[in-house]
Amino acid sequence: MGMAVGNEQGGLTNEPNVVPMIDILLVLLIIFMIIQPMMRKAIDLQLPDPTPQAGPPPANVDQIVLEIGPNMQMSINKEQVSKDRLASRMKEIYDPRPSKVLFVKADGTNKYQDVIWAMDVARGAGVKVIGVPPKDANK
Amino acid sequence: MSMSVGQSGRTTVKAEPNVVPMIDVMLVLLIIFMITVPALAAGFQAVPPEGVNLKPHPEEDSDQVLGIDSEGRYYLNKQAIRNEDLPEALRRIYDARTVDKILFVKAHRDLQYQRVLDAIDIASKNGVRVVGAISDQRPGTESSVEEDRAAAAAQTATP
Repeated sequence: MGMAVGNEQGGLTNEPNVVPMIDILLVLLIIFMIIQPMMRKAIDLQLPDPTPQAGPPPANVDQIVLEIGPNMQMSINKEQVSKDRLASRMKEIYDPRPSKVLFVKADGTNKYQDVIWAMDVARGAGVKVIGVPPKDANK
Repeated sequence: MSMSVGQSGRTTVKAEPNVVPMIDVMLVLLIIFMITVPALAAGFQAVPPEGVNLKPHPEEDSDQVLGIDSEGRYYLNKQAIRNEDLPEALRRIYDARTVDKILFVKAHRDLQYQRVLDAIDIASKNGVRVVGAISDQRPGTESSVEEDRAAAAAQTATP
């Protein structure tokens, strides 16, 4: 190379020492590799139509509503379900059903974590769409 | 020193390790953590609930995140917002959109569900069609839903 001076024995090289730079770049690479997979995860909830059409709503008889009363008293379409039976009961319902829609109507006094838990169980049992009924829906 | 060898000759051999690269790396780590820690801790803080069967949502610039902290205060994209200003802010954002009407809600896990319902109610009246309830994957678990796993795999394959 034209620039190299004294490359003979015991000579000086004027090439920069890149080893520390590579060290630092590798550390940065590792840090970004750790941060990258922290992606967002969520449970999607379909919201009610804010402008419902006047008149009676379409009579949808076979929809499934999970009601969560105070203290996590759960019932699926008025049928009481205990906490540990929820997963198996959901599976029984949704395995033969083509429509994987569930409405979750939870009492406001429950803990958010518990409501999410129930929705989580529902997704595990095959529910694809979780709906939240309008706030002042008929009691 | 009793351990050092060849210290007396003209050409000395040092037995001490070269710590300069290590110090370089440590300083870089220090700087990185000094920058990221205040950015992470500032303003809004909430511990989202845990779940197993969650749907991955790759983060996008257009995402709107509504935070609800353990006191029930609202934060829109990490900026504190007063409860009465929230409907208007959401309306401004979602009226301009024809697609992507999803609002992510990152609420503290120990909140009363009523607080979340109130936020969902405000959202539904102001143009939001879908709420994504942000949750943490329970450590060591994986979603049992086929599509979630496929989406997660696609995400890691193409960063």
